[in-house]
Amino acid sequence: MKRTGVIAVLILSLVAGSVSAEELSGLELAEEPSALELVESVYNRPDGEDMQSRLTMTLINSRGDKRVREIRQFMKDFDDVEKKVMFFESPADVRNTSFMNWSYTTVGEDDDQWIYLPALKKVKRISSDSKGDYFMGSDFTYDDLGDRHPSSDTHTVLGQENVNDEPCYVVESVPIEEEYIYGRTVSWIVADRWVVVKKDFYDEDDELLKTLTVDEYGEIDGYWIVTHSTMHHIQREHTTTMALDDVQLDTGISDGKFTERMMTRGL
Amino acid sequence: MHRFLTALTSRPWLVFAVVLAISAVFLVGAARNTRMETDLDEYMPKDHPAFVYSDEAEEWFDIKDGIIVAIEHPDGIYNHGTLSKIKALTKELQKHDRIDRGDVTSLYTADNITGSEDGLDVRAFYSKVPESESKLDALRTSVRANDMVHGRLVSEDETVTLIIAQIGDEAFSQEFYREILDLTAAYEGPEKLYVAGRPIVEGPMAYLAPKDMKRMVPIVLLVIVAVLLLVLRSPKSTLFTMLVVVLSTLWTFGLMAWLAIPIYAVATMIPVMLIAIGVADGIHIYGHLGLYQRKHPGLGARDGASEMIRGMWKPVVMTSVTTAVGFVSLLTSDVYPIKYFGMFTAFGVMVAMVLSLVLIPAGVVAFGLPRAKRARPKREGTDDVALRFGKGLMRHKRLVVTAAIIVVVVSALGATKIWINSSFLEKFERDSDIVLTDAFINEQFGGTSTLNVILEGADEGVMKSPDVLRLMDEMQTESETLAEVGSSFGLADYLRRINMVMHADDPAFDTIPESTELVAQYLLLYEMSGDPDALWRTIDYDYARSNVTLQLKGDDSKTINSAIAVVEKFRPLFEELGVEINYAGSGYKSLIFTDLILKGQVKSLVLSLGIIVVLLSLMFKRISAGLIGVIPISITAVVSFGAMGLLNIPLSTTTALISSIAVGVGIDYAVHFMERFRVAAKSTGEVLATVVDAMHHSGRAIMFNAVVVIAGFLVLLRSAFPPNRALGVLVSGNMFISLLGTVTIMVVVMVQTKIFFKKRS
Repeated sequence: MKRTGVIAVLILSLVAGSVSAEELSGLELAEEPSALELVESVYNRPDGEDMQSRLTMTLINSRGDKRVREIRQFMKDFDDVEKKVMFFESPADVRNTSFMNWSYTTVGEDDDQWIYLPALKKVKRISSDSKGDYFMGSDFTYDDLGDRHPSSDTHTVLGQENVNDEPCYVVESVPIEEEYIYGRTVSWIVADRWVVVKKDFYDEDDELLKTLTVDEYGEIDGYWIVTHSTMHHIQREHTTTMALDDVQLDTGISDGKFTERMMTRGL
Repeated sequence: MHRFLTALTSRPWLVFAVVLAISAVFLVGAARNTRMETDLDEYMPKDHPAFVYSDEAEEWFDIKDGIIVAIEHPDGIYNHGTLSKIKALTKELQKHDRIDRGDVTSLYTADNITGSEDGLDVRAFYSKVPESESKLDALRTSVRANDMVHGRLVSEDETVTLIIAQIGDEAFSQEFYREILDLTAAYEGPEKLYVAGRPIVEGPMAYLAPKDMKRMVPIVLLVIVAVLLLVLRSPKSTLFTMLVVVLSTLWTFGLMAWLAIPIYAVATMIPVMLIAIGVADGIHIYGHLGLYQRKHPGLGARDGASEMIRGMWKPVVMTSVTTAVGFVSLLTSDVYPIKYFGMFTAFGVMVAMVLSLVLIPAGVVAFGLPRAKRARPKREGTDDVALRFGKGLMRHKRLVVTAAIIVVVVSALGATKIWINSSFLEKFERDSDIVLTDAFINEQFGGTSTLNVILEGADEGVMKSPDVLRLMDEMQTESETLAEVGSSFGLADYLRRINMVMHADDPAFDTIPESTELVAQYLLLYEMSGDPDALWRTIDYDYARSNVTLQLKGDDSKTINSAIAVVEKFRPLFEELGVEINYAGSGYKSLIFTDLILKGQVKSLVLSLGIIVVLLSLMFKRISAGLIGVIPISITAVVSFGAMGLLNIPLSTTTALISSIAVGVGIDYAVHFMERFRVAAKSTGEVLATVVDAMHHSGRAIMFNAVVVIAGFLVLLRSAFPPNRALGVLVSGNMFISLLGTVTIMVVVMVQTKIFFKKRS
C-alpha cells in the first residue's frame, strides 16, 4: 500500500517535472536564434578581408614530448573561396616549405592543396579524399579550423551554459553524410561574439574523441580572433596547441600572394 | 624430537582435529583469495635492463602485438562480397571496446599515396565498396603498384588479405578470444577466415596449461593411488600417504592465498613436485613398519607407531630438509614466479614431512596396523632379489663404474647440443588450429611474429641523416634474405615510397633521399597528408630513434636469433654513425626471459648441490658422504639435459624446472639409502650384508616410490598439452635415473670408499 503510494508520487512528480522543463525550454527557444542561425553566425563571423600572423603549432604526445613548428601564414577571402598560404620558419630543415589551401564555400567541393618542398624545388598538388584530414599532422582537421559548412550538419540547441563566466549557447551538430569522422559535435558558442570557446567531438560510437578549448581570444582591429587554442585528442592521447601572434588584419595582401610561384619564393 | 613425536601418537584424535582445523583455515583461504595470474608480462622481471628498454621502446613506438585475421577467397579477394566483408569486419573490430580505432589496419583503412608529374594523391583504396568490373580492376591495379600494401596486407596471389588489430597486453582475455572467433565466424563463406597472431598464441597459453593440469592431476592421483595400493597392500596406508600429499598441497596453496600471492602458471608445477616428493615419506615409513612387523609378529599398534617414528624420523627429516633446501635455492632466480615456486614448494615439502611424521603414526594408532602380509613365499622372493642384486652388484663393480662414466660422458656431450626455446607456438599440437593458421599466414605473408630493432642516436635528428637511413635500408634488405624473415618495415620504406611518389612514381627514385633537408621535408609532407600515426610507429618525436620491424616466420628462439645475428653485423657500422642498436617486442622479451630462467636454473642447481653437499656432510659427519650423496642427483641432471640434447627436445621454462625435481627426488633416494647403509654397516660391519640389508630395506622402498611416481607421471603422456607431456616423460625419466644411480653407482662408491665401515686396525 505504502509502496504504491510512493511510486504514484514519483510518477506524478516526474510528469510534472517534464512538463515544466518543456515549458521552460519552450520559453527560452522563443528568445534565441535557431540552431542553424547560431552556427551560421559563427561560420560567417567577420574576420577581416585578409589576415597574416605567425602561428606556433605545438604537438604534444602522451609522454609530453613536444614538436614545435613556427609558421608564417597569410589568408584572404575571395568571393567563393578562402585562400591560405603558409611558410615554415622552423625547424630549420623544413624552413621555407610552403603549403597552400583553397577552401571553397560551395558545399561538397573539395579543397585544393599544394605543397612546395625547397629541397626538391617542386610544387606538387595534393589531392585527397579529404574526409576529416588532419591539418599538418596536428589534432585539428581542416573542418575543425572552420572549413565545415553549416549545411553539412543538422543542428540542435541543447541549452545555455556559462563558460568562463560567459553565457554560451550549447549546440549539437550531427553530420548528414554517413561516414564522417565524427558522430556528433557539441559546441559552446559565445552569444553575440559568435566565437566557439569549447567543443566536444564524439566518434561514431558516441565516445568522446577530442575536446577543443579556446584558451584565449580577443578583439583585434574590431574582429574577434581566437589566438590560443588547445585540441586534446583523447583517443590518440595527443594534444595540439595553436598560438597566434603578430596578427595583422586587412593589410591588403595582394591576390598574387596565393600562387604556386609565390610559394617557391620563401619568406 | 622423536620423543615429542612419539608422545603425539597417544592422542591420535587430537592430531587429526588439529590437522583438520589448520587444513580448514587454508581451505577457506584458498577458496577465497586464490587469484590466477594470466598476464605473461607479470612474469617478467620489471627491472631487468632488456625489459626496461623494451617496455620503453614499446611506448615510444606504440609497439603492440597484433591479432591477425586472414580472409581467404579461392577466386581472389577483388570482388564486391569480399571487399564488403573486409570493410564490415574492419569497422566491427574498430568498434570493439578493447581495440583502439586507430589500431586496426586493413585494405579498407590503408592509405594509398600515388604520384604524378604535378601532383600527389592521397586516398583510401576504397571507401564505398566497388561493384563494377572496371572499378574492381582499378583497385587491383592500385594495390599491385603499392608495395607497402601488396604482399603485406594482400597476398602475392591476391587470394588472401589481412586485417590486423593491435591490442594492449591487458586487453587479451579468454572472453575476448571467444568474441573475436565468434565475430570472424559470422563472416565465413565463401571466404574462409583465420585468426592468428601472438596474442592468440600467448593468450591461451596462460590458461591451457593450468586447465590441462586440472584435468590431468586427478587422473595422476588415481593412478598413484592404484599403484600405492599394490605396493603398500593396504587401503589405510594408501589413504594416509595420499592424505599427506593432498594436504601438503592444500596448505601450500592456502598459504599463497592468505599471503595474496597470485598463482602463476609455474605454480601448477607445485602439486607435481609435491606428489613426486610427498609419497616418498609415506612409502619409506610404511616400508620400515612392514619389515619390522615381519620380524616382530603380534606387534601392537602403539609400538608400531613408535617404531615408525624411531626408525624413520631421521631420514625423513634429512631428506625433507635437503629437498627443501634444493627448492629454496630457486630464490636466487630473477623471476618472481620462480622464486615463489621455490619458496612454496619448499614449504609444501616441510608440511609433507610434518604430516608424514604426525599423521601417519596417528593413523596407525587410531585405525590399527596395516594387516600383516600373508603371502610369505613371495616376500622371501624379494629378499632373494635384494640378495641377488647385491651380489651381482658387488661382482660387477667395474662394469657399473664404466657404464656410469660412459652414460655421463655421452650425456654431457648431448647436453652441449641443447637449445633453448621460448616459442609459444611450439607448445601447441602440430595439427591444432592455432598452429595451422599460423603456418598458413606465414606462407602467404611476411610472418606472424615480429622482432623490433630499435635504432637510437645520441642527438636529435640523427634518423633524418641519409647515411643512417641507407644503412637501415641495407640492414632490412639483408635480413630479408633470410628464409625466416618474411618482410621488414621501417622509416626507410616510407621515405623510399614518398621519394618515388614525388618523382611521378618513377621506380628510379625508389631510393633514400639525398639530403637531410629533403628527408625532413618528406616526413613533414607525410605527416601532413598521410597517416601520421603509422609514421610515429617508426620514428620518435626527436627523430633520434627509429623502430624497424622484422616479420618472422616463427616465434622460436632459433628464428629470432638468426634475425638478430644479421642485425648484429650492422652494429659496428651503425656505431660509426653514432647509432646504437637495441631490441624490443614480446618475442624478444620471451627470448630474454627464457634465457634468464635457464641461467637462474643452472645457478640454483649448482648452489643447491653445494648446499646439499654441506648438509649431508654435517648429517653424516663426513665430507665424503656429502660428495657421494650428490652422485645420483648429478648423474640425473646430466642425463636429463643430455637426453634433451640428444632427442632434440628444446629447453623451455617448464622443462628447465624439471632439474628441480631431479634434485628434490634424487636427494631423497640417496639420503634414505645412505642412512640405511650407515645403520647396516654399523650393525653388520660386513660389506655384502650391508648392501643386501640396504637394498632390502631402502632399495625396495625407493623402487616402490619410483614405480608409483613413474606410473603417475606417465599418465601425463595422455595430456592434450604438449609441454605437459614432456613434463611426464622427463619426470618419469628423472625418477628412473635417480633410482638407478642410487642403487648402483652410489652403492659401489660407498663400498669402494669404505665409508661407514670401521677401518680395520
